[in-house]
Amino acid sequence: MKVININSLTKIYNESEVKVKAVNNISLSFEQGEFAAIVGPSGSGKTTLLNMIGGLDKPTEGEILVDGTNIKELSSSKLIDFRLRNIGFVFQAYNLIPVLTAKENVEFIMELQGKSRMERDERSIALLTAVGLGERVNARPAKLSGGQQQRVAVARALASKPKFVLADEPTANLDSKSTETLLDIMEELNKKENITFIFSTHDQRVVNKARRVITVEDGRIVSDEKKVN
Amino acid sequence: MIWNISWKNVWRNRSRSMVVICAVTLGTISGVFVAGLMKGWVDQRIHNAIHTEVSHIKIRNPEYLNNEELKHTVPNYNKLETYLNSSEDVKAWTKRSKIVAMASTSRGNTALTIKGINPEEEMAISDVYTKIVENGGDYFESNFKNPIVISEKTADQLRLINYIISQELLDSLSQLGADEKLINSLAQVKDQRFITEKKFKAELESILKPYQIKEFGANIMKLAKNYKIRSKVRFTFTDMDGEMVQKSFRVCGIYKTTNTMFDQMNAFIIHDDIASLAGFQHSDYHEISIILKDENVKLFRDKLKSNFSEANIMSWKELAPDAGMMADFMSMYYYMIMGVIFFALAFGIINTMLMAVLERIKELGMLMAVGMNKKRVFNMIMLETIFLTIVGSVSGMVLGGALIGIFGKVGMNFASVQEGFEAFGWSAKVYPNIEISFFFGVTLMVIIVAILSSIIPARKALKLNPIEALRTE
Repeated sequence: MKVININSLTKIYNESEVKVKAVNNISLSFEQGEFAAIVGPSGSGKTTLLNMIGGLDKPTEGEILVDGTNIKELSSSKLIDFRLRNIGFVFQAYNLIPVLTAKENVEFIMELQGKSRMERDERSIALLTAVGLGERVNARPAKLSGGQQQRVAVARALASKPKFVLADEPTANLDSKSTETLLDIMEELNKKENITFIFSTHDQRVVNKARRVITVEDGRIVSDEKKVN
Repeated sequence: MIWNISWKNVWRNRSRSMVVICAVTLGTISGVFVAGLMKGWVDQRIHNAIHTEVSHIKIRNPEYLNNEELKHTVPNYNKLETYLNSSEDVKAWTKRSKIVAMASTSRGNTALTIKGINPEEEMAISDVYTKIVENGGDYFESNFKNPIVISEKTADQLRLINYIISQELLDSLSQLGADEKLINSLAQVKDQRFITEKKFKAELESILKPYQIKEFGANIMKLAKNYKIRSKVRFTFTDMDGEMVQKSFRVCGIYKTTNTMFDQMNAFIIHDDIASLAGFQHSDYHEISIILKDENVKLFRDKLKSNFSEANIMSWKELAPDAGMMADFMSMYYYMIMGVIFFALAFGIINTMLMAVLERIKELGMLMAVGMNKKRVFNMIMLETIFLTIVGSVSGMVLGGALIGIFGKVGMNFASVQEGFEAFGWSAKVYPNIEISFFFGVTLMVIIVAILSSIIPARKALKLNPIEALRTE
């Protein structure tokens, strides 16, 4: 089943009256349960593409359909609500709320969704246990390592039961061991819960783990390979 | 959770938040204390206006207001007497005759109004009987003929106060810690009588050193003061028929209120002592003063006016317009003081919250990216501002309230400016007080100020573009 359908997507930035085509007429789709990486050199347009899929940036042309909804047509307030209910985000710099504990950071998204306290409690602890932080639920981000913080960010991204998770360079700030642990956790969640993961990365370790690799250059897709397990 | 985050965000940068909290606390303390002080002053002024000077309601002959001739007595007195005796609204009332007279002694003279009273009735209306000065006699308790109670100011004008350095004074000063040098200097003029304050002061300045005057001057003045009780004062006035008459009274008591003007104008005698000489009949009185059971003076005044249209009936607010104006506008004035303080503090709060928003741009971008809508972002910033402000203002209200509690018991003495205060009828010793409702009003103001102060920082946050905010380093 297709979760995301992208048709003729173009993004043009007008910087200093020089038009820059960051994404140039890309058409693409993602199936439920994919574990895909968008790769390419810096400035190739992979992050812009990811931002548009996540509804953080508006395309100049083309459309993005998520479960049949054209997110380009949504008003800004509806788009915020759409992101809350359908998309999980993992950022390069973790971006946890420093004054909240790991558990509260995970719960926070569910609170925004209006989930009950009991459900929030159960799911946040289950997710933190799933990412290997069952013992650190009450630790604040400052007391966690970079790898642990990013695992909390993954748990937070999954807390809202999203249709897919977008991860922008999630391993860029991590060492090899933390990267390996994080990727294993995400792969396991992907397989176990059939959650779609889409990465923007130029980390070879992520590329090796991905089952589909989309290579972007100068805003265009130059290859789209699916690995056979 | 928003409440939780907002509260925790307040303490994210402790030192910065504490600076604002301390500023709000100090501002609130000063505002609450100044309001308490003003209220204490105003309450005392109103109390004195009603219970010493004018009572709740005064009834007079309208003609008397234009021309204080004795013939302008209260119209329909007998009917009024019956009405007031049967009224359930009246706590106490009294009648007075009023004579404008020239008072003279062998050394001085002054013009004043002598009020012919019934002391027992008067004590239920006016607290002048509690204002008899130390060693200043009594309030119509002495058993001699034609007693009069005059003010200390009048006694001074009639030269009925003199100053004597007595052995008791020297003993008292020794007990207060005066050294032998001072005692010896004062002993030079022991038992010598000084007939004016000015002459006594001049003598003290010549025999004492400035530091001795500074340390013991006030005590010496107080202890040396000697009132000439039982002295004769002669009054000259015009009787009911317009004839000039004279009568002598003996000083039985000397009073002092906090209103110099009132003191200067009023002396009290027993009505019956002057009635026949002045030519008063049974119902000839110039004013009726009433104290009511409750504070709804206007209602009773209107009732009286409708029943006794021929009389001039005025409430204390009309009789003492300064106090009346204060009673009406003071509560607004307290809030104006707090308003000005909070307005100034608002700039500090806005500055702090703007800094708090600007240093969290990336985090706010993340919150908006993951689905926190603008309303929630706004609420979060607003709650942070409210918490920050409320912590400071509640501390300020508690401390300000405690200060008012302490000074409300011991009082604050502005002795150095006593003369100036009392010239306007204000007491120089103030007992600050405040009503609980004021604190509710201030809390409401704090919340409004916090909400208004949060608008600029919150708008700044709402204008953020999540992608650009996330890219911020």
